[in-house]
Amino acid sequence: MNRKKNLRLTGAVALISAVAVTLAGCGGRDDSSGGARGGSAGITDSTVTLGITTPLSGPTAGPGTCTVAGIKAYFGAANAKGGVKFGDGKTRKVEIKALDDAYDPQKAKSNYDQLKGKVFAMTAGLGTPTNRAYREAAISDEVPQVLVMTGDPIFSDKGESPMQLGFVPTYINEGEAFGKLLAASGKEHSVAVLSQNDDYGQGYVEGFKKGIEGASNVKIVKELTYEATDTSVDAQITQLAGTKADVMFNAMSITPLAIASLQKAQQLNWKPSWFLPSNTSSPKAILEPGKATAFPGVYSVSFAKAPQSPAFAGDEDVKTFLSDLKQYGDYSDVPAFPHCMWSYMTGATLDQVFQKMTKPTREDFMKELRTVSAFSAPLMLEGTSVDTTVDGQPAVSTVQVQKYNGTGYATVQSFG
Amino acid sequence: MSSITGFLSRAWVRWAITAVVAVALLVVPLLFSEYTNQNLARIGVFAVAVLGLNVVMGYTGQVSLGQIFFVGVGAYVTGYGATHDWNIVVVFLASVLVPGVIGLVVALAAARLGGLAIAMVTIALPIIGVPLAKRLSDFTGGSQGLSSAFSNAPDWTGLYNDQWQLYLVIVIGGATYLLTRNLVRGKYGRAFAIVKSNEAVAASMGISPYRYKVLAFTVASLIGGVSGFLYMAVIQFTSPETMTFSHSITLLASMVIGGAASIIGSLLGGAYYVLVPQWSNDINPNLTELLQGALLLLTLFLLPGGLVTLPREIARRLRRSRPDGGPERRQTPSAEPAPGREAVEETPTVGGIPTQRPTERQEQA
Repeated sequence: MNRKKNLRLTGAVALISAVAVTLAGCGGRDDSSGGARGGSAGITDSTVTLGITTPLSGPTAGPGTCTVAGIKAYFGAANAKGGVKFGDGKTRKVEIKALDDAYDPQKAKSNYDQLKGKVFAMTAGLGTPTNRAYREAAISDEVPQVLVMTGDPIFSDKGESPMQLGFVPTYINEGEAFGKLLAASGKEHSVAVLSQNDDYGQGYVEGFKKGIEGASNVKIVKELTYEATDTSVDAQITQLAGTKADVMFNAMSITPLAIASLQKAQQLNWKPSWFLPSNTSSPKAILEPGKATAFPGVYSVSFAKAPQSPAFAGDEDVKTFLSDLKQYGDYSDVPAFPHCMWSYMTGATLDQVFQKMTKPTREDFMKELRTVSAFSAPLMLEGTSVDTTVDGQPAVSTVQVQKYNGTGYATVQSFG
Repeated sequence: MSSITGFLSRAWVRWAITAVVAVALLVVPLLFSEYTNQNLARIGVFAVAVLGLNVVMGYTGQVSLGQIFFVGVGAYVTGYGATHDWNIVVVFLASVLVPGVIGLVVALAAARLGGLAIAMVTIALPIIGVPLAKRLSDFTGGSQGLSSAFSNAPDWTGLYNDQWQLYLVIVIGGATYLLTRNLVRGKYGRAFAIVKSNEAVAASMGISPYRYKVLAFTVASLIGGVSGFLYMAVIQFTSPETMTFSHSITLLASMVIGGAASIIGSLLGGAYYVLVPQWSNDINPNLTELLQGALLLLTLFLLPGGLVTLPREIARRLRRSRPDGGPERRQTPSAEPAPGREAVEETPTVGGIPTQRPTERQEQA
């Protein structure tokens, strides 16, 4: 019996050793991971490698897959033309290493640990918790974590995040754009507010209030919140309907709740103009089932041309984008998520930065990253642009308010 | 073959092996690359979580689907304490005791229920945990999470952060492993095993199944808290997503794959939890879930007792191919169950009632 026990112990020790040896295969402590002379990791004279950690499985896999497909499409097309011409005179091919984090902060950190020695910069990854999970590590390792897909303002604050920059507009930017449009309408408006009780909803409401600051024609008559885990907001909608407000500001990120809100208001015969955030404004997924045409107007914000929209069917940008996406991004459908377009623009923005870099170092990259302004990336709506020079703002902070016209969205200049 | 096992059973050889392992554990962090150290530390974190799950499920046979909740609570308490500059010892104790107390309270109610009802109650924990972490944003940082770099290497050590963190995991995780090993090999372990195999028999022997179930559950949540502390020390960030229910299921799968009711199996389970997502990412990042599912099925088909039975499976196959395998080997049953589990099946019985575990009988003799 003892003997058997020992055999078991030995076997186990052998197994553990095997695992350890496999791990040790990664080699000893050595920080120079094959970079160009005088350059940083992940960049040679002919290639530059970018790392992405993003959800490719689980509930957020849809948008996550898009964040990889878009940037792969952009640089795939650029590589096919020979590569990107850097400011130091060398032309480099851009390689993308994307890993799945399943929206788990722990896996995101693990992916970052795996990538940081091999890639020049981390980019395009989707998710607030997953990007936050390695934010501090990226700062202390001095690895750029740039143009990431999160509306969390901390990534655009140079003091807090010296190695970071967000790409998409913050929730505040979006709320503010709608507030300004409303304030400029010149008519009296009473607004009912229903927001998600977290940084997301609070950001939208904060921005909206900033937008209507000093405007005497807009009054918030009631503000209610709900929890992201709630399964119904009927009670809140009923309460808000009682105010008979003519505008509903609905900062909601949960698809079924957004549909239910639209439906409940109609049942109560309350038909205000309705604002929805960019990520819960899909015509197919939300507005059609919610019968949004019953309202005088459903508004949202955007900075990207929507390939589904008939307005952009013949657009050159959209055509190139769709064919690049198919050919280089392994994504054959017309994208259902805006993240595909965003990450394509991320690629274009990085291209601009690369063209300005005179030294193949992360340091120079971070310096030049902050100098792109008034850059109109492909697929951008008129009136929006990439501007990385403003501290406290993400690369894209301008959005256009759009109105639902029964099939898709069209940009509007005034409310009504 | 038998001369090797004979050699291995000598006392001085066992001590030598222990010493070699101990020295290896001390030296390893200094030799490996940063990434390897970080990976080993992560394995340690989840090996401790799996160990806790093993106490309640593997050894005591109570289905718990809430282990990740205790890990999350431990991580949050650690993060909260560390960001409020509590003494690190206080932080550690709080991160273990808070989940322990929650575990005790839940167990007092849940252990009254039998079988699947306990599973149902424990499912609720991570499901409540995620919204709770989002709502209590004053303590948890809400959906943006909580980060704390309290575990960076102090200057006097001259170590890199990853080395220091790995030492923390080795010392704290190692101590947890030793304590748990002693717990499940001693009188409590025997009581757990009897509760697992037959509650009526346990009760007739004066072992209260209720009390031991509560004990096992509480110990599991204490160990979950230790794992949470280490999680915060290694990953330095936690958010509500840490407690997602699917992670609890992955922990469960890791436990089964490593080997239920096995100390070494828990360690292998931790390695599975951390390494398999990485391997599947290396193969194809778009197919991670599919690959992980396939590997899970494959392991369960080939090694139903878990990875820990791999050496024995190999030995068994070798023996089969060599009919003259030595007389004493023939006596061992051909398909051996997972370690710990055999205790009950091989136990001498008096009228169907197990008397003593064979191992103990031999050691006491």
